[in-house]
Amino acid sequence: MKKNLGSFVVGDSTKCTGCKACEVACFAVHSRQNNPVGKTVGTVTVPVTPKLYLTRFEQGCMPIQCKHCEDAPCLNVCTKGAISRIDNQVIVDPEKCIGCKDCMQACPFGAIALLPYAKDGKLAAQAMGETKVFASKCDLCAGVEGGPACVRVCPHQALRLVDPEAEAEEKKIKAAEALLMTKNWR
Amino acid sequence: MGIPEIEDAGCLLCFGYNGADSHPIVARRIVRGKQKGMKIICVDPRVTETARISDMHLQLKGGSNLALVNAMANVIWNEGLADIKFIEEHTNGFDEFLKVIEKYTPEYAETISHVPAEEIRKAARLYATTKPAMILYGMGVCQFTQAVDVVKGLANLALMTGNFGGPSMGIGPVRGQNNVQGACDMGALPNCYPGYQSVTDPEIRAKFEKAWGVPLSDKVGCAITHVPHRVLEEKDETKRIHAYYIFGEDPAQSDPDLAEIRETLDKCDFVVMQDIYMNKTGLHADVILPSTAWGEHDGVYTCADRGFQRIRKVIEPDPGLKTDWQIIQEISTAMGYPMHYENTEEIWNEMIDLCPSFKGATYEKMEKYGSVQWPCRDKSMEDKGTPYLHKGGKFATKDNRGVFYATDWHPPMELENDEYPMSLSTVREVGHYSVRTMTGNCRTLRNLEDEPGWVQMNTQDCERMGLVKGELVKILSKRGYCITRCLPTDRVKPGATYMTYQWWIGACNELTNAKLDPISNTPEYKYCACRVEKIKDQEWAENHVKELYDEIRTQMGITAGKGDH
Amino acid sequence: MNYFVKGNPDLCIGCRTCMIGCVVAHEGKHIFEVDPDSYTFNPRLHMVKTAKISVPVQCKHCENPACMAACPAGAIQMKDHAVIIDTSKCMGCKSCMDACPFGAIDMVTEAGKFQADGKERVVANKCDLCSGIPGGPACVRVCPTAALTLVKEDELADAMEKKRMEAARNLFRDNQE
Repeated sequence: MKKNLGSFVVGDSTKCTGCKACEVACFAVHSRQNNPVGKTVGTVTVPVTPKLYLTRFEQGCMPIQCKHCEDAPCLNVCTKGAISRIDNQVIVDPEKCIGCKDCMQACPFGAIALLPYAKDGKLAAQAMGETKVFASKCDLCAGVEGGPACVRVCPHQALRLVDPEAEAEEKKIKAAEALLMTKNWR
Repeated sequence: MGIPEIEDAGCLLCFGYNGADSHPIVARRIVRGKQKGMKIICVDPRVTETARISDMHLQLKGGSNLALVNAMANVIWNEGLADIKFIEEHTNGFDEFLKVIEKYTPEYAETISHVPAEEIRKAARLYATTKPAMILYGMGVCQFTQAVDVVKGLANLALMTGNFGGPSMGIGPVRGQNNVQGACDMGALPNCYPGYQSVTDPEIRAKFEKAWGVPLSDKVGCAITHVPHRVLEEKDETKRIHAYYIFGEDPAQSDPDLAEIRETLDKCDFVVMQDIYMNKTGLHADVILPSTAWGEHDGVYTCADRGFQRIRKVIEPDPGLKTDWQIIQEISTAMGYPMHYENTEEIWNEMIDLCPSFKGATYEKMEKYGSVQWPCRDKSMEDKGTPYLHKGGKFATKDNRGVFYATDWHPPMELENDEYPMSLSTVREVGHYSVRTMTGNCRTLRNLEDEPGWVQMNTQDCERMGLVKGELVKILSKRGYCITRCLPTDRVKPGATYMTYQWWIGACNELTNAKLDPISNTPEYKYCACRVEKIKDQEWAENHVKELYDEIRTQMGITAGKGDH
Repeated sequence: MNYFVKGNPDLCIGCRTCMIGCVVAHEGKHIFEVDPDSYTFNPRLHMVKTAKISVPVQCKHCENPACMAACPAGAIQMKDHAVIIDTSKCMGCKSCMDACPFGAIDMVTEAGKFQADGKERVVANKCDLCSGIPGGPACVRVCPTAALTLVKEDELADAMEKKRMEAARNLFRDNQE
């Protein structure tokens, strides 16, 4: 069936140990595409800036990233039209982004961060000698073979790529089977 | 038997009949029967809703009906479960019948039907020992080249167990379309006047000639399924069909081998189509006569249980629209035979006075009792009709005795082969009725299911071919192809495919075989060989389907609902 | 206690009249308008058919709803014995869909309401027990085989009480023997 909804990656705090392998893998994959880091993942001058965030909270830790909302507040708030839906996923176009931070404020998950924008292996410059930045968020590793790197590298399988429609379908069948078991509830 | 009697049967043999999809209201009776403790034996190649709640589901291979029926008869006889008294007192031909069914041991039938012999035995025992036992059969029996033989085979089962002549027993055909029973009752058959009175009987012909004041032909007419041949291949000019008047029917959608039907309609000199909405046949018609729909006119329908029921006009049709009977009346008058009826009751009264078995079914009675089941021979209000036939074991034969009739099973006309390795059967789906000339114009029903429909396939076949739910596939037979969506399901067996026939794009009748049952002239919709092909470029296929649909809509001049899917 | 509608697979014939009834109840007379954009076809329950089962599946209106806990927008709340989504607050993040163990939530387009990129809004959709609709859940009312039941606190409590009585009687009988 043609997919209608965006997929997303979700973390499981019961499995996550906070090792940050996901963050490193995320940055590695994306820096290979557009950041001037060379062979290493991060350097003294270029910190590891992933698109998902290992988040420690009172009860534990887990990575948090974009849900690719269907009525996405970030997309709706962006005055420049820099955020669009491509193949059901919510994607930022760094060329169009002016770094106004509206999307960061609109996002209820804290899934967006400002990052220096690198192009052709160099940091992109703007007027007055400033470095251009852009709103960076999970793109579900668009164009990366094997799908989201975070899911692949997690040593504890604490990350899962969700196809919400397919999963709902399976859950519905389970719910129907439960009705078979509880049909004589009276 | 009457539809309401179903729920009071002790045992229901539901053979090739999927009530939930074709008649939800009848299915309700089956569900209620189950709640009342009725035993259900379901014979169907698919897991239907009835199969799901049945006590026994014989999931036979398509096209093996008669082998299974004969084997059940074989078990009933050999295990001493037959009603010998009933057979002796009320039937003929039992000995000849035994000779035929002798070889149909459950073990032999297993090789044909793929139903384990022990299951056949259990089913036969359950049917024969639970009283009263009722049989319902549907298109899974009738739409084979061996259809009438199976109906007779099922009747044999009822005869040999004495399941005739009382309430909640007997054998019930649950018809393929609404009011098919009515069309047959009213003589829309090539060999009958209304009331099943033969056109070749001189006495009957004289009666109708006198009533109508015209000489009438003594020749049997042409069955709808013979029309293509009579248009395309008939060498005798006097027998060749030149004009075709079609109403309330969409042969360019519902008949087998659609390519041949289109050629027939195009080569026929003059085609008139009379319907409530535009349909596929209309694309080939010279004249289109719009008529009223249910709710816009009065009339009588016959239910599958022979019950005449009034239908009533509830809204005024659009100005200028005429009812079917008014159109027929005007055409008849224009052709030189004036007709003057004021309303449907006048027509009805003329008809019942010419048909002894309908004579008592007046409008007044239908109004009062809701349904009047024929035979109803007397106009007095006391004659409320006949809920079940053959009371006291008296059958409608010359000597009032039921007749056993048996014949050997033969396979369907076109079997799976190297080029077309799978079988295809046409089926129904609840929501869309028949060719969906009506329901396709109901938006909510269209939202529930729309073009290009589905092909139901076993999940193993889908996995093997790398097909997922909703993927567009090409399905082909010797006669044509169409594009539809794949629906993997474990309700069907490997090697078999099922499609509903109402879609314009996923039109499975492009594929079906036009071979006919020799007696009923019904085509073998339930079996032909086919092949399913994966379509690599799904985006192209999606667009292609949309283009095809838009093209048909444009041809039909449909502009409403452009933004709809 | 929240109420809920449950289907009985023994009675269901898979006809989906419940789904149509649901849409008609929530869309009102829009469905009779010719303009196709004037209504949306978003049933709030879904027919599940497997080899063994046909039955509609819908929200169970949990007492500790996982969807409500997962919603970052506070769009899901409990009201009038039901768990209800305020679609005006929903942003389609699918957290509820992911959280619901029954697959009872889907994401649907809202006709006539658009996002910044011109596409129709997509929001979470689920059974609201026909909140505010006279006569109660439409699915229960339209089912031709009466396969759907609205379960209220009393019914459930009565059933539990009945079962306890039965259990006690059985134990009593065992003790006597």
